[in-house]
Amino acid sequence: MTSISKSNILAEVKNLNLDFTLRQYHSDSLRDVFIGAIKNPIKLLLRNDEKLEALKNINLKVEKGERVALIGKNGAGKTSLCRCLAEMYVPTSGDVNVHEDTRSIFDSSVGILPELTGRENANLLARFMYPKLSKSELENLVREALEFSELRNFIDTPYKYYSNGMQTRLTLSLISAYPCELLILDEIFDGADQFFRNKVSKRVLEMIEKSGAVIFVSHSTENVRIACNRVVVLNKGEIIFDGNVDEGIKVYESLDPEGSF
Amino acid sequence: MTYGEHFNQVIALTAANVKSRYRKTFAGFIWVVLNPIMMFGAQSLAFKTFLKIQVPNFYIFLLGGLLPWIFIIQTIDMTVSMLQGSGQILKSFKLHPLTLLWSQVLDNLVNFLFAFLILLIALFFGEAEVTRFIVLLPVGVLILIWGVSSMCWYLSILQIFYKDVRYVVQFVTSMMFFLTPIFYPASYIPEQYRYLVNFNPFYALIEPIRATIYNPSEEQITWAFTRGIICCLVFSFLAILNWRTKKNDFYLQI
Repeated sequence: MTSISKSNILAEVKNLNLDFTLRQYHSDSLRDVFIGAIKNPIKLLLRNDEKLEALKNINLKVEKGERVALIGKNGAGKTSLCRCLAEMYVPTSGDVNVHEDTRSIFDSSVGILPELTGRENANLLARFMYPKLSKSELENLVREALEFSELRNFIDTPYKYYSNGMQTRLTLSLISAYPCELLILDEIFDGADQFFRNKVSKRVLEMIEKSGAVIFVSHSTENVRIACNRVVVLNKGEIIFDGNVDEGIKVYESLDPEGSF
Repeated sequence: MTYGEHFNQVIALTAANVKSRYRKTFAGFIWVVLNPIMMFGAQSLAFKTFLKIQVPNFYIFLLGGLLPWIFIIQTIDMTVSMLQGSGQILKSFKLHPLTLLWSQVLDNLVNFLFAFLILLIALFFGEAEVTRFIVLLPVGVLILIWGVSSMCWYLSILQIFYKDVRYVVQFVTSMMFFLTPIFYPASYIPEQYRYLVNFNPFYALIEPIRATIYNPSEEQITWAFTRGIICCLVFSFLAILNWRTKKNDFYLQI
């Protein structure tokens, strides 16, 4: 995996395939492996590992100014593709090139240390999300994000007492506090209430205007219409549509509801 | 991300961990420092006074073996299932699992160093002799940190795939306490079995520290450091190989 730095293309995926090995599911304890090795060592050595093909021959290019929605049914490969772009997964074959200034978030209700307050968790999260910012820049960013979150008196309450919605507010306020070249958001608006979702969507859109592009995973066609100008539909690990928002949503809605995996 | 940025993240997480744990009570910190000191006292009493083990300067000998051992065991115990329990964080955004792991190692290291230095200074006022080799003690500590981090890295990834790794490790380490020359010298092991100690990774990580404070000699230190570094290289290789081959399945299963 390499990074793109000076170009309008912020992410480029060529012939990407991603397989998972299902070997580990056969035995999930060392004891079972040990017993298996004693009972039938040859079987253990010659076992055929099953492969799960999560992504098949994916080709995708994301340019500056694009707001790409990745839509598809559960198990279609949306999160796997985002994790490849976020450099969390290593492709089985193919190339993934992303801009070095890429930020990704896959869960909006994440706190690092529940015993610490929302403010302290925000400081820590900001440190992890924005490792290149200086201490004073981080302090300003956190202060502004906490104001935006409207958590007010709850900011200095331990994070473990936060509701799911409050956790989402905190994370979304942080992730949308500073522009980046490529932002990957995987179903992160789901925990927020309608009011805050609109507020943060507006802020994300403003942030995108200022800088790069966004890849946005959602099951909400309403959110996709508001936030995106391009739709990519994934089905069974393959891209089956790439283009206009309205047409993409039609393709998504016409998918066979029975054949999810 | 640069190494410096990664290091800053580890420091920030360690500081937050310490703050989270000892926010309500400073006694917690006192306890974790006192704990190995009390263990040292109990074992000194048992082996030196009751069992009358004939080792010159036994207290400094025991300090060099027992405290690194406690650090290794506590760190392994706290980190083996750490990644498994941090699945939500690791899957939420790009955060290298090593950041979590190193933060725990660093946290334990602070406790270990406090207890170790308190006892070391006390012993230097008593029976122990300070030699020029003491300047190599930080190198011994670095070898210990490197080896323990690699071991924990390997085991914590394995724990994701095999849910009983933690229990197997507890069983093995409780056996190894008696098979590793911690409270007795390697010279107590019959000659025909003594070569086996060279394959004991715990001994390989403990000895570089002990060799700098207990009857140090150039030959002893060279051999201890070489063995320690070889052990670190082996575990680092295993840990990196394990991570590279299992990275995707790690995120899938965590």
